[in-house]
Amino acid sequence: MAPSFESQKCPMRAEIAFVIECCAHGHAIAMSSLNANLLAELRGILGADGIVSRATELKTYECDGWTVEKSAPDVLLLPRSTAQMSATLAALHRRGVNFVPRGAGTGLSGGCLPLNAPVMICTSRMNRILEVDFENRRVEVESGVVNLHVTNAVKARGFFYAPDPSSQIACTIGGNIAENSGGPHTLKYGVTTNHVLALELVMPDGQVVELGGPAEERCGYDLVGAVVGAEGTTGIVTRATLKLMREPEGHRTLLAAFPDADSATRAVSVIIASGIVPGAIEMMDQLIIRAVEEAFHVGLPADAGAVLIVELDGLEAGLTAAADAVAAMTTTAGASSVRLARDEAERALLWKARKRAFGAVGRLAPNYATQDGVVPRTCLPQILRVIAEVSARYELRIGNVFHAGDGNLHPIVLYDEREPDQVRRAIDAGRDILKACVEMGGSLTGEHGIGVEKIGEMPLMFSADDMRVMTELRHVFDPHERANPGKVIPQPGACVEVAAPRRQVPI
Amino acid sequence: MLIGRDRVRAPSGAEIAAASTIVEPESVGEISEVVRFCEAGGISLAPVGAARTLSQIRRAPVAVGASLKRLAKVVAYEPDDMTVVAEAGITVAALNVQLARSRQRLPVDPREPGLTSLGALIGASHAGPLRLSEGTARDLLIGIRFVGHGGAAIHGGGRVVKNVAGYDLMKVMGGSFGTLGIITEATFKVRPIPEKYCLAMLPYENSADAFAAASALNNALPLSNLDLLSPGLAAQFGANRYLLLVGFSGSPLEISYQTDKIAQLTGARRENLDHESAAETYNRLRDLDPGPASLVAQIAVPPAALARTLESCGAEFHAHAANGVANILSPAETTTDRARTAVALWRETAHAARGVLRIVAASPELRDGLEMFDTPNSGALAIMRRLKSAFDPAGIFNPGCFVGGI
Repeated sequence: MAPSFESQKCPMRAEIAFVIECCAHGHAIAMSSLNANLLAELRGILGADGIVSRATELKTYECDGWTVEKSAPDVLLLPRSTAQMSATLAALHRRGVNFVPRGAGTGLSGGCLPLNAPVMICTSRMNRILEVDFENRRVEVESGVVNLHVTNAVKARGFFYAPDPSSQIACTIGGNIAENSGGPHTLKYGVTTNHVLALELVMPDGQVVELGGPAEERCGYDLVGAVVGAEGTTGIVTRATLKLMREPEGHRTLLAAFPDADSATRAVSVIIASGIVPGAIEMMDQLIIRAVEEAFHVGLPADAGAVLIVELDGLEAGLTAAADAVAAMTTTAGASSVRLARDEAERALLWKARKRAFGAVGRLAPNYATQDGVVPRTCLPQILRVIAEVSARYELRIGNVFHAGDGNLHPIVLYDEREPDQVRRAIDAGRDILKACVEMGGSLTGEHGIGVEKIGEMPLMFSADDMRVMTELRHVFDPHERANPGKVIPQPGACVEVAAPRRQVPI
Repeated sequence: MLIGRDRVRAPSGAEIAAASTIVEPESVGEISEVVRFCEAGGISLAPVGAARTLSQIRRAPVAVGASLKRLAKVVAYEPDDMTVVAEAGITVAALNVQLARSRQRLPVDPREPGLTSLGALIGASHAGPLRLSEGTARDLLIGIRFVGHGGAAIHGGGRVVKNVAGYDLMKVMGGSFGTLGIITEATFKVRPIPEKYCLAMLPYENSADAFAAASALNNALPLSNLDLLSPGLAAQFGANRYLLLVGFSGSPLEISYQTDKIAQLTGARRENLDHESAAETYNRLRDLDPGPASLVAQIAVPPAALARTLESCGAEFHAHAANGVANILSPAETTTDRARTAVALWRETAHAARGVLRIVAASPELRDGLEMFDTPNSGALAIMRRLKSAFDPAGIFNPGCFVGGI
């Protein structure tokens, strides 16, 4: 059974200290402590410093950015090479032990929360950039490389790696691949799957396979496309060949202030409809503006109801005219002021403010949960009204900072985990928002993944047949569901409620 | 009676080599019926658009070809969302007529878009010159519906431009050549039609100079397309040398800047075309007739390796120069033996550059003994075989002609 919040009503869940599962497939034994022989074998493969098993150290790994649920693994493994990864997975496979892959743990949907998987495998030591090939605009990296390090390695030559999630100073390419991560500039440049050409995948049985290649065309099925976004349920990616993009000749970054969110979202539709394709259109509402301003003092208009950051990029020759056109459109839509970033430093400051908005929100409440629903762009005004209603109904503050150009929301629900009732309301508020997104023809998640957070909502989007076929696809890679079990697809057939030893947030 | 008698017919034209009987279902429900019927009887079944691909890759026709020409509607189009949902039987050209009313387009440009259904575009991974600036169907497909085994109507993705809910069935079905099910509906991101499009035509004495110019241009400008024709094909554009066709677009200011930049980077020998004739020339480039060639293959290598790869192949070519992708042609009078030798050389050359090769078209007499697809590495092929049996346990969907005999 999936760890939807419905299931937390089940008293069994909280009481089971450690669990032996018999799930629908009748395999996968998970134990609270691992067999001593297995530990010895893993030590032989990884060396003593490749294994972390002290509870105090493991606590760091009990959750990712989805902090509502927590569960530390029994053991953390830190392989340094594909060979070690392969030997590790083969050893686990022989003993039927499940595992959860982890990059930097910056995910926001609980994608690397161990569920019925005693072993966590972290790619952080596989962090080499193996080859930069400017001629072909390719870079080959190990999966533990930090996203921003890829761009840093190539920017002096005028290139960049396009997917730029807000967590890019920490998140890894492997994690980006698992979640098919996006970022502000995906509006123009696409998400991770559009930038991955080839993968080295260690299958859950330890076999190493090469998928895709450095050419633009493939041979056979698009297995790279099947693995990207599979949330670590097809094995562990150890290497990736990524596309590099040429840095545009110029940028114009505009900050437009609006009296309210409604007029800001209307401006988004007008810009999109005009035929101009900006590099990014981001929106922040009043709650976020104030938090960001308090934290970073970037000069955002604190009295504005909402701001848009619109970034245009391309040939210098066309940028001034395009920026003027966008400025005029925002003014017509009701903007009270429009400011053009004067120089690169001001542009960088605006982006810093945007990308650190989540951090700034930490000042407003002890806890927050970030949602990731998507709506068709024309439904933005409508969904923001729904979010305001939800906020009022559950008496919780909800801030909005999101990829407006993509229709990809990030409502941030503020709560205090010490108040069980607030946790409950935060979860219900999030679910109501997602439901509304799906009803408007949208999606549960634009870039954060299903993880554990939204697994209970999958049936809102997909039929039983859809999910059966998706499970068939997963089994092509992982027939025993050893890789990141319990994620993406809910399993209504499971016969025993499962929780690994797991410090639940009281509800 | 699964579907009406009037919608079951004998194949004609290219369909004859693709399928023995053609059915034209009018609904997804009818397709499901057909799938279940074929599974029960072990009858081979494949989707056919214009049958251009299927007729080439099959050694023998499938028993039943499902034409979706009666499932060719635009289901939903909201210009301000820049997304369109359409049934798989509509052609790229017909779809683009509707999108053009809002100054938008699906910017995937296969050869003869008036013959290319969305199902074929996705299933056979067709693309054209605009892949440089706009990507391929893979980059723009955000939702899919197909009928899979058991006749189940399956969907993946959705109608929004960013969506990571569930496994990416768009990628699985893309380039699957009808071997996993029948695609019935697709949702695409669409793009604005540029304000103005121009095309510079630059002749070169040899391919090395032409590729060097292409590389310099691609590094300097965000071009729309960058195509290089060998002399035999350049003749169709009145040239007798290597011909570089440089497409660029944007506002009048951007056009003027790019025109100057191209002249500066390549010397003054440019012939810029005005808007109307640029569009007409681009259409001829997209639909380029391989002429009397008996064999056409698509080769794809890392872009910087394309020049020397094509040199080694020693054949006439149409290259998407900055993508590392080219169609190469053998002369019309090629014998079976010579064709096999040529393909073996091409394959070896492609693989030496870590690339791939697939035969796009071959005359019937040459096709015997030629592998249309490369064989994936053993690890990947094993996964592909499992994928095929998971999605098509009865083995009815276009069997036996894809990679590794899938």
